[in-house]
Amino acid sequence: MSDLALGAIALVAAPLLGGFLIGLDRRLTARLQNRAGPPLLQPFYDVLKLMGKRPMACNAIQGICASLYLATSILGVLMLVLGQDLLVLLFIVALGAVMLILGGFSVKSPYSQLGSQREVLQMLAYEPLLVFMVVATYLNTGSFSASSILALDRPLLLAMPMFLVTQTLVMAIKMHKSPFDVSASHHAHQELVRGVYTEFSGMQLALIELAHFYELVLLLGFVWFLWHTNWVVGAVLALAAYTTTILIDNVTARMTWRWLVTFTWTWGVGLAVANLAAIYLTLRVPR
Amino acid sequence: MLVWIGGVRPGILAGLLVLAPAILGLFVFLIRTKWSRKGIVTASGWVLTLSALALFGLGAVRREAIPFTPAGPLGLSWDSVILVLDLALMALFGAIGVFLRKPAITALTLLQLGPILWIEFGPLHSAIGGPAMYVDWLTVIMVMIVSVIGSIVAVYGLPYMKEHEKHAGIADSASKRPRFFLTILVFLGAMNGLVLSDSLLWVFFFWEVTTLCSFLLIGHDGTPEAQANAFRALWMNMVGGVCFAAGMLVLAGVVGTVSIQGIVLAETAEPSGAPALLGFGLLCVAGFTKAAQMPFQSWLLGAMVAPTPVSALLHSSTMVKAGVYLVARLAPAFHNTAVSDVIAVAGGFTFASAALLAIGQSNAKRVLAYSTISNLGLIIACAGLNTPLSMAAAVMLIIFHAISKALLFMAAGVIEHGIWSRDIEDMQGLVSRMPLTTFTMVIGILSMLLPPFGVLIAKLAAIEASVRMPATLILLVAGSTLTVVFWTKWTGRLLTADPSVVFPKIEHLHSMYFVPLLLLTAGAVSFSAMVVPLLTELVAPAVAQYYRTVQTDATTIIQFDNVLGVPWALVFGVLTIAALLPLLYFRAPRTRRVGAYLCGEQVDDAPASTFRTAAEAAAPVTVRGHYFERVVGESLHTRWMTSVSLVALALLFGAAFVPR
Repeated sequence: MSDLALGAIALVAAPLLGGFLIGLDRRLTARLQNRAGPPLLQPFYDVLKLMGKRPMACNAIQGICASLYLATSILGVLMLVLGQDLLVLLFIVALGAVMLILGGFSVKSPYSQLGSQREVLQMLAYEPLLVFMVVATYLNTGSFSASSILALDRPLLLAMPMFLVTQTLVMAIKMHKSPFDVSASHHAHQELVRGVYTEFSGMQLALIELAHFYELVLLLGFVWFLWHTNWVVGAVLALAAYTTTILIDNVTARMTWRWLVTFTWTWGVGLAVANLAAIYLTLRVPR
Repeated sequence: MLVWIGGVRPGILAGLLVLAPAILGLFVFLIRTKWSRKGIVTASGWVLTLSALALFGLGAVRREAIPFTPAGPLGLSWDSVILVLDLALMALFGAIGVFLRKPAITALTLLQLGPILWIEFGPLHSAIGGPAMYVDWLTVIMVMIVSVIGSIVAVYGLPYMKEHEKHAGIADSASKRPRFFLTILVFLGAMNGLVLSDSLLWVFFFWEVTTLCSFLLIGHDGTPEAQANAFRALWMNMVGGVCFAAGMLVLAGVVGTVSIQGIVLAETAEPSGAPALLGFGLLCVAGFTKAAQMPFQSWLLGAMVAPTPVSALLHSSTMVKAGVYLVARLAPAFHNTAVSDVIAVAGGFTFASAALLAIGQSNAKRVLAYSTISNLGLIIACAGLNTPLSMAAAVMLIIFHAISKALLFMAAGVIEHGIWSRDIEDMQGLVSRMPLTTFTMVIGILSMLLPPFGVLIAKLAAIEASVRMPATLILLVAGSTLTVVFWTKWTGRLLTADPSVVFPKIEHLHSMYFVPLLLLTAGAVSFSAMVVPLLTELVAPAVAQYYRTVQTDATTIIQFDNVLGVPWALVFGVLTIAALLPLLYFRAPRTRRVGAYLCGEQVDDAPASTFRTAAEAAAPVTVRGHYFERVVGESLHTRWMTSVSLVALALLFGAAFVPR
């Protein structure tokens, strides 16, 4: 299949899959809370409804930030399916994360300002885990490109089991799941004012929701890579990680930013570094 | 044109690059009118820029490195002239120590004098000889950075210093500007001399001239704080000078030459082990002092008391870059040694720890200073990693950091003269008050940490190169993440828009502010857009050329295809469109402007953030940044960080005795 066709399919399929999974999350969460929950396709209805709203903004910066956030999420998914450099991918997605933060900062609102301050710390919490995972992948494949993983004849998970844990952690933080949701909660019903997202509305919020669809697929893709040799096992791993974050979300409460950063930089980074050390010791990386 | 450039004697260009600014500086000093100063400083800028371009052309035509010794004046050799000037400089340092009662300065002068006299008049005199200057692509790149960015900063300094003295209430007759611009121009000449020289004796002379100039510039305002900080910069850099002289003496004794090329060639062909490595260790410590690496960071932090053009110069194209240049230039000679590994870890440590300390700072210039220290640490780490890819990353960082940091300091200076504060909290909402300057500042900040800008791409190369050394890798990953935190927080303050301003009025800027800012913003963007050709056509050949003694296959040594294979033009295009489309969709007449959500307690429908407090009184919303002082405050961390870096320095010398 040509790159163009693959890219086009990913462009359309990724948000469909992401939105569907978020719909599933909302149903599952509702059941856990003894509610019926919204229809499965509610995330799509939400986005469509938001898109139809009359344009409204606090300033011109918000729209630019939301749009760049979506653009980088799309670029991230495209780079993943086209087998591009994973480090570049991470930093392009980081650009989007920074843009979301700046959008929150651009409004003189106590809520979005607080959310943005904390979103910076969320980034501080997950960013090193992602980079370490890419480095561990490199140590196994000898290349930083996503395509090199597919060329490998054994599942990565065997060499990097800890990264299944850290990757689940990253997913929980990035999707704003409790107890890591210091900047805002994933689901609107969990709080009165939604931190970093407070001041985004209408089309801006629609773009951000769409970006979340893409981002979820991207995060699941990273987990899928851990068992790429069998399509089904990879998908099961990815779904298991996703379900775990939903379960944790429902049985824990939000913790403080101090706890978040301390926890990820001790347990998260600790696990990642321990796994890296094991790889260095067993694979004899050439100097 | 090219044929003509090919025939130019490199000595003439060296004269234009080194001596011309110093001579023109003397004219600025002697002819004290406003117009002559403006004219001569601008003319020096053109002389430097055009000479640097000519040197670039010369390099392109000749295609290979050019060793040469410029013909001396009045039948003397430059060697003897530089010796005399060197001794005069030492006499000056000694006099500063004696008359200003700083015995440490006097002692450091004597310690430097010893090795110099030993080499010049002792049994090691035979080590002097051969071409004293050397032009290869690395030199050309450095000369371009010094001359072009240095000139832009000098021109920017013209209106800045005028406003600076006006604000301080200094009359035109008592103006210290003639001395200021003399020092700046001599500084630029000395930097060019430093990167053009191959003889360590010459490098040492120019090295000490930059120390003297920075001492004068930091102390320029003459306040007690400025003087104290100037002396701190002086003694720390003179400690570096002592290490430089000692290292040179050791290498002259062990290798038998003071030529950098000679030393690198000899040491890569047949390493002479511990004694030579001790020499390199000493020279690298000298580099560390100049590049303000931990534990020597305090002089650069103190240097921010100087007027902003000085900071822009010290942090971007001159002074600190001399330190990293020296380490990078010598790196092939200690390739694959424990010394190199220690340098990589020490650089990585400075990278991460300076980024951590930057988070706690609310003083804009202090954040910039920590960012400089941090990035120089990254460059040093790259030099220590010592692979073709890491060297390419180092050179890229030198280029992109110089552009972005000059831009950031100059924008910070314009902001300072707009709001008369250096506090980031006072910069809140600047996007509504000084939109143009804020735009350049935000581009400058983003160009320091995000794709698709050059610094980030160099950082990627550094991370990829560090995979062979886990300790450095972890430090680089930690440092990169911490870097995002302080820059994003600062940008957030700038962009916190004033809700009562719908259409910000574009501020009026002096043309000598506007043009330099515009040039550097355009430079940061366009060089980043051209990052692939820049790397493959300029940086890779430069590294291949100066690193050839270690690895000979010139074109294939830099394995960075993954990153270069990314369709960067497409990424740039998509991001630009994504940034512009919202301006169309949310254009003014269609879009309702609203105020922030304040739980229904907002006053009226006015977009201004005002809420009803007790007894229906209206109170404005105040927001501020958070600096986490209780977690990352300087007072909590500086001491242990200094201890760790002192241990690293000790290890550097210990590592000299580890066999390869």
